[in-house]
Amino acid sequence: MSTILEVDGITKKYGGLVAVNNVSFDVTEGEILSVIGPNGAGKSTLFKLISSFVRATSGTVNFKGDRISNLTPHTVARKGVVRTFQETTIFRSMTVRENVVVSHHLRSKASLLGFFFGSNTARADEEAFGRSADEIIEFLGLESISNEVASNLPQGHLRALGMAIGLATDPAILLLDEPFAGMNHDETMRMVNLVRSLRDERGITVLLVEHDMPAVMKISDRIVVINFGEKIAEGSPAEIQSNEKVIEAYLGSDDDEIGL
Amino acid sequence: MEQILANGLYLGAQYALIALGLTLIFSLMNVLNFAHGQMYVFGGFVTYTVVAQLGLPFVVGLFVSAMTLAVMGAFIEKFLFRPVIKKSTREESTMLLAAGIAFFLDAVILLIFGEKQRGVPKIIDGVLNWDFRIIMPYDRILIGCLAVAMIIAFILFMQYSKTGRAMRALAQDRVAAQLMGVEVDRYSMIGFALGAMLAGLVGGLLVTITGVNLGMGGPTSIKAFLMIMIGGAGVISGAIAGGFILGMMESIGLTALSSYGDITYLVIFATLMVFLAIRPQGLMGKPWG
Amino acid sequence: MNIKQIVGVVVFLLLVFIAVPWAIASSGRWDFYYTLTSVALLSIASAGVWLTFYIGRINIGQGAYALAGGYVSAVLIMQVGMNFWFTIPLAGIFCALLSVLIGVPILRLRGVYFAMVTLVLTEVMRLAALALPITNGAKGITSIPLPQELSLFGLTLIPDFSTLENPKLAFYFAAVSIMVICYAVLWRIVNSRLGHLCRSLQQNEELSASIGVHTAYLRVLAYSISSFFGGIAGAMFVAISQSIYPSSFQVADSINFMLNCFLGGLGYVFGPMLGTLVLYFGWDLLFTTGRYQLLIYSSLLIALILLLPNGILSIFSRKEKRS
Repeated sequence: MSTILEVDGITKKYGGLVAVNNVSFDVTEGEILSVIGPNGAGKSTLFKLISSFVRATSGTVNFKGDRISNLTPHTVARKGVVRTFQETTIFRSMTVRENVVVSHHLRSKASLLGFFFGSNTARADEEAFGRSADEIIEFLGLESISNEVASNLPQGHLRALGMAIGLATDPAILLLDEPFAGMNHDETMRMVNLVRSLRDERGITVLLVEHDMPAVMKISDRIVVINFGEKIAEGSPAEIQSNEKVIEAYLGSDDDEIGL
Repeated sequence: MEQILANGLYLGAQYALIALGLTLIFSLMNVLNFAHGQMYVFGGFVTYTVVAQLGLPFVVGLFVSAMTLAVMGAFIEKFLFRPVIKKSTREESTMLLAAGIAFFLDAVILLIFGEKQRGVPKIIDGVLNWDFRIIMPYDRILIGCLAVAMIIAFILFMQYSKTGRAMRALAQDRVAAQLMGVEVDRYSMIGFALGAMLAGLVGGLLVTITGVNLGMGGPTSIKAFLMIMIGGAGVISGAIAGGFILGMMESIGLTALSSYGDITYLVIFATLMVFLAIRPQGLMGKPWG
Repeated sequence: MNIKQIVGVVVFLLLVFIAVPWAIASSGRWDFYYTLTSVALLSIASAGVWLTFYIGRINIGQGAYALAGGYVSAVLIMQVGMNFWFTIPLAGIFCALLSVLIGVPILRLRGVYFAMVTLVLTEVMRLAALALPITNGAKGITSIPLPQELSLFGLTLIPDFSTLENPKLAFYFAAVSIMVICYAVLWRIVNSRLGHLCRSLQQNEELSASIGVHTAYLRVLAYSISSFFGGIAGAMFVAISQSIYPSSFQVADSINFMLNCFLGGLGYVFGPMLGTLVLYFGWDLLFTTGRYQLLIYSSLLIALILLLPNGILSIFSRKEKRS
């Protein structure tokens, strides 16, 4: 398996504060890789750096050999690197299905003018989007709420909808931002299975940022641990679980949701 | 040069006071008060009525104007903005309401006070002449000093009083303030009243110098918007900075550009647009207000 | 389009092209033509403002483009000697290009910041019209001739307005026709992918970018279409009033365009048309109340906002209860 995403010495400074310091790791095609770390370790900034939502101070991120750091978010998405958001970032006043259909934008072959005049390509696109949206909705088990307005949905469904929006773009690699945050045990297990099926059934490489340790241990092929903005460990779940530095980092923090 | 600076400071002090009221209302309720200029004109007319018509001292006029506007502001918040904010799906609906109120105040001013330009007699006579480097009438100096004193009083109030602190908490994070036990409705109303009161006070101060007329409301609102854009909307220090910067720019522009005709404001606007393109949140604002 | 919509469109067309002229002829209120022509033109400008609302921006600067469009048309007629009908699209294109230049920096602003900058923009345009030599300062451009004949291969498409016995009626038909075209375009935009993307922008710009939408491009595109509408409305106005001054479109007009959208309802394509009709006609009808006109008008406006804060058309969607 080849390397699909390569993070090379990425650094982000806010004024004098170093949020992410010289972090490097590779993501292999078809794997599920998790980035973990205590609260405030710089996970979130790292996530935004990879999806180009913030500009790196130095270092690069490469996707299949092309540099994708310091571009605009939509160009990165266009290349196939798509992020999801935490919690309630959805198109609130659209229905679930409209959310998913509109997110097929990257797959459209017709131009905006074509859509305006209703050209044949445009009509074919719309039909294809509709079919694909229904398929994604079914895949994520959202059929029953397909015509609900998104702002009325409960938390758990919103997370799934966020994922559906990501899937609609047909990504090569999906970046998930804390997919298990605020979930109870059952919900977490359901989400773990879902993320696995993204990779197993749809062949999508998954990079996720999370601090729910049990879920991460269960789901990941490999784990990267960061603390105070620096990478302190990388390896399989078993290796991470027995790594001195990791245990120290987690015990040293106020966060006691370790679950080891 | 000294003359330009003095004029700039005098203008800036009044501008800052207008901007403070606008920014206070904005920061508390996220409402862009289009009627701010009209409130200012209303204050001017109230002072005129008390001082010139009833023959009472200027201080009384100022006080009555402040109180009238404070009560008006409180009512506007309680009976108009509050229900509309609760019922509308998009926050921007408050703009429609604010514009409606601006029209309404214009109509009221027209009916009660008429269309004529009104002023009150000078409160003190005489002109300061410092070696022909600064020439300024004493009444302008007095009004400028009063405006600065009010700005300082306002800052102290926001900083140290219980009400002021509650309003700052509310401005910073509405939800958090609510959780901390700040009565949101009550302080929104007080804030609106205070903002309107500031507009009334400036109106009262200025009626002694430039007078007031019906048409001043709209342009005053636009100037106030400019100031809070320069400084950053919803930030007290930003409003003060914006007021003084605009006052200074106007004073410099009127002198330096006078040979090119009436283009001072065109230049100010163009500069502002370039500035905002580089720094969208203004000098001191948080990004995206 | 479904049957119900087609019927609606046909009824609307019959109403504006046949029923209104008939009603005016039989009642003898010829002055209504001027009012309704104004409503038609102002609602074109309002439609543009509505489109910027649709991408989540509050636009209080449409007066600037209406003024610019008016001047472009006036200058082309008076100094180049161009036929009025050709100046309409040119005015629109000029405004669209101008709005790209202005929009690229300012569309990065959001919320009240964008609103305030656009408000200032109207004032900038007025001051520019006062200062520039080509616009003839405060004296404006006056005695602009009525629209000339427009013909294709010797076939008269539009007759010379000065030969007409009733130019008021001709202006009414011209304005309403342009309005119908503009709203058809707007309707099509909103119901095609472009509109869906605009809606995604309105609701969440970050998410929109993350699904690959070129948000900056789309914003500028929507804004330039909006300004195009403003430009052609301004150009048409010049033909009717046969003059233009820096004060022809001011901040108050820009605010009115925005109010029209709010009042009709931001969620409905035809909201700005209805809003314009109600506001403008309402103002006109209250003329008889004399000095109380503004008081009654503003009180009614405030009452309407209190009753229907989401626009007049929201009464039809009361059933869809929101959370």
